[in-house]
Amino acid sequence: MTDRESSLPSATSNDDPALAAELAALYARTPAAEPAQIARCTSAVLSAALPAPGAARTIGGLRFRWWWGAAAAALLIAVVTRPWRPDQAQQEADSAFVAAAAALEPRGLTVEERNGSVTRFDLTLPASTKAVSLVGDFNGWDEAATPMVRRASDGAWSTRVPLPPGRHVYAFVVDGQRWLVDPLAPQVPDAGFGPTNALIVGGTP
Amino acid sequence: MHAPALIACLLLTQLLVAERSVESPERRPHSQAEAREESREPRQQVQFDASRFDSLTATALRSILDRAAAQGLPTAPLINRALEGAARRASGPKILAVVRVHAAALAEAREALGDRSTSQELDAGATAIGAGIDPGVLAAIRETRGPGQAITPLVVMTDLVRRGVPSLTARDAVTSIAIMPTSDEALLGLQLTVAKNAQRGPGMALDALNRYVRLTVPGARPPSTPATLDRKPVRPPPS
Repeated sequence: MTDRESSLPSATSNDDPALAAELAALYARTPAAEPAQIARCTSAVLSAALPAPGAARTIGGLRFRWWWGAAAAALLIAVVTRPWRPDQAQQEADSAFVAAAAALEPRGLTVEERNGSVTRFDLTLPASTKAVSLVGDFNGWDEAATPMVRRASDGAWSTRVPLPPGRHVYAFVVDGQRWLVDPLAPQVPDAGFGPTNALIVGGTP
Repeated sequence: MHAPALIACLLLTQLLVAERSVESPERRPHSQAEAREESREPRQQVQFDASRFDSLTATALRSILDRAAAQGLPTAPLINRALEGAARRASGPKILAVVRVHAAALAEAREALGDRSTSQELDAGATAIGAGIDPGVLAAIRETRGPGQAITPLVVMTDLVRRGVPSLTARDAVTSIAIMPTSDEALLGLQLTVAKNAQRGPGMALDALNRYVRLTVPGARPPSTPATLDRKPVRPPPS
């Protein structure tokens, strides 16, 4: 058996011996490709894949130059960074930073409803939140006392609590584990347990 | 009676007595002044649930509450702190430490704000002192508002300082607005303006504060020099 016969890839012990022998003989009779034939095939493939030499790509009849890309990049950098107005560029970068940070932060709203001295607490959180409850000095800091309900219209978590006039301290408990505060509402600094929010219900001048 | 049974009975009795006496300071007014004050103030729903603490912590809390009541200090803010700690699953020693510090701050706030202050004012004042505000600033706020009317300035003052506004600048801004008639809404507007801008850095918060005071108080001088030109974004304080 020659080397070519022994390297027949599909010959296994389960094959039909007669068919395997016939295939091996056919494989042995096939002549090896000549170098010139290989070169012809390679050039044919390459010419189909690549543009012909000398036929440059054009944009609107203009031939593309490498420095067009460099000039566009320099213009973009100049417009964005504005080296002649560094303060304004910095401010705009700040705004973008703040907008990006705000998109990731919870947003709260506390509304004092005039009829019936009821206060409404709203909190917007990522959609993955499962449960939110309101805790504070008005419910003995009991997580089970004031659960919040997700509003269908905008996805915010909301609850209404009747509160007497005065100062109240509260926080939100997310998924029974994480304590959150409304970042824009008046805050009570961390005195050892973590920060909370303060709310003043009308009645003081 | 066998010794183990006797010891068990004694322990049970002590536990029951401890729980009852922790509840007792909240049930009864501690002094005539406080009784008068509580009758004037809206009643907060502060219910002490001793079962939320272990017996040692409950006993120590009773001692702190008794001492505060003997000094004529309101106990409702202290009970609230303790309940908050229990809800956050803080350890007993941690709860006791926080309640002790708050009791001391309440006494300091009463000294600064005066004996006629309401318990909510004292609580807000103690929180302000806990935030690092000098008691002298509390006294300055008291000069702008009568008894029972300084809650909003104190809350706003505490929030401004927490957001990076220097204490004296915040005092000047708050007192200049607080002397105006029906100025609570203006003070809360100041708080919201500073809160929104503080996320862009302390310099932005100061700029916003100056602008707000200039627009709100006729003829007012901005309470601070213009903020620095440093506009580097900073992280908002951890919440």
